[in-house]
Amino acid sequence: MKRLSFLLLVALVVPAWAQDWKVDYSRSEIRFVIKQMNVPVEGGFKRFHVQASFDAAKPEQGQFRVDVDMAGIDTGSEEGDGEVRRPAWLDTARHPKASFVSKSIRKDASGRYSVTGDMIVKGRVRALSAPMLLTPQRDGGWLATGRFALKRSDFDIGGGEWADPAVVANDIDGRFKILLLP
Amino acid sequence: MTGNELRERYGLPLISLHWLTLLLIIAAYVLGTLLEDMPLSPMKLKFYAWHKWLGLLVLFLLPMRLGLRLFEKLEHGAGLTLLEARISAIVHGLLYLLLFFVPLLGWLYSSAAGFPVVWFGVLPLPDLVGKDKLLAKIFEELHEGSVNLLVTLVVLHAAAAVYHHHVRRDGVLARMVPWLRKNQ
Repeated sequence: MKRLSFLLLVALVVPAWAQDWKVDYSRSEIRFVIKQMNVPVEGGFKRFHVQASFDAAKPEQGQFRVDVDMAGIDTGSEEGDGEVRRPAWLDTARHPKASFVSKSIRKDASGRYSVTGDMIVKGRVRALSAPMLLTPQRDGGWLATGRFALKRSDFDIGGGEWADPAVVANDIDGRFKILLLP
Repeated sequence: MTGNELRERYGLPLISLHWLTLLLIIAAYVLGTLLEDMPLSPMKLKFYAWHKWLGLLVLFLLPMRLGLRLFEKLEHGAGLTLLEARISAIVHGLLYLLLFFVPLLGWLYSSAAGFPVVWFGVLPLPDLVGKDKLLAKIFEELHEGSVNLLVTLVVLHAAAAVYHHHVRRDGVLARMVPWLRKNQ
């Protein structure tokens, strides 16, 4: 009862406008799985920056932007880390950042969100839609989790001798977990 | 035919498995050696895959080989001194042990390095250990060390077979090489 009245109080006092959320990077991650010779190999990104701006009562009116430092990629092996920075892959010298900018957020009947926006990798822009769950945290924060699917051919990642999807798959299975703090 | 020639020979399944294992070991060893100095390329990923697939085939054929071998107990000590018989038993025992441990250590190394094995690109095998850099380094060293021992023993084993055939002329090699028998 005490908690309910507190919530009511918060709802009455805090005006319903978009709020910029802080990010706990130590508990956030952007990872991916890509198959090499049909073997799923896990990787991730060590450094990224998230801007999340939404009203806790209406996240679907909010906005997300994620910028990833591509040189901080972890491909699962040192050999791979060196290789994918090269021009044929991510060309991190010329394209140090990859970004996702949300354009719209929809909420379905079961409370799940779908974030649609532009994915920009290696200077190429592709529309991307990703399912997202927003789980409220005890401290008033949110845990945003979801998955996204990319095709490396869409962004010219690993062309030339590496183009064969039987060796390195075209499909990249991405996952994100972002802990947002008030 | 000399009096001390062994008249027995192994059955065809065991003979086939023996020579198939040798071919697999040679192929896996050549691939593994090439891998060490190769820069990353699609070819290298294919070599890695085939190295693991062939090596694990050696491991998975081993129970069948051992099973057949236990049923086919030929006269092993014939014409050998006690010392020779002992050395022979030790080398054979070590060969079987290494046929088990070399591929197993490779599998452990692959698991610890964070690369699961999908056998022949079709059958996903379980990871034996979780991803762990230090463990990967240890298994890598053990895999390399054990394979060097295996190759040394294979050479010793082959040299002994040739010695039996050309010097002792006792039919030991012919037990494993069917056409040598027909010629005699």
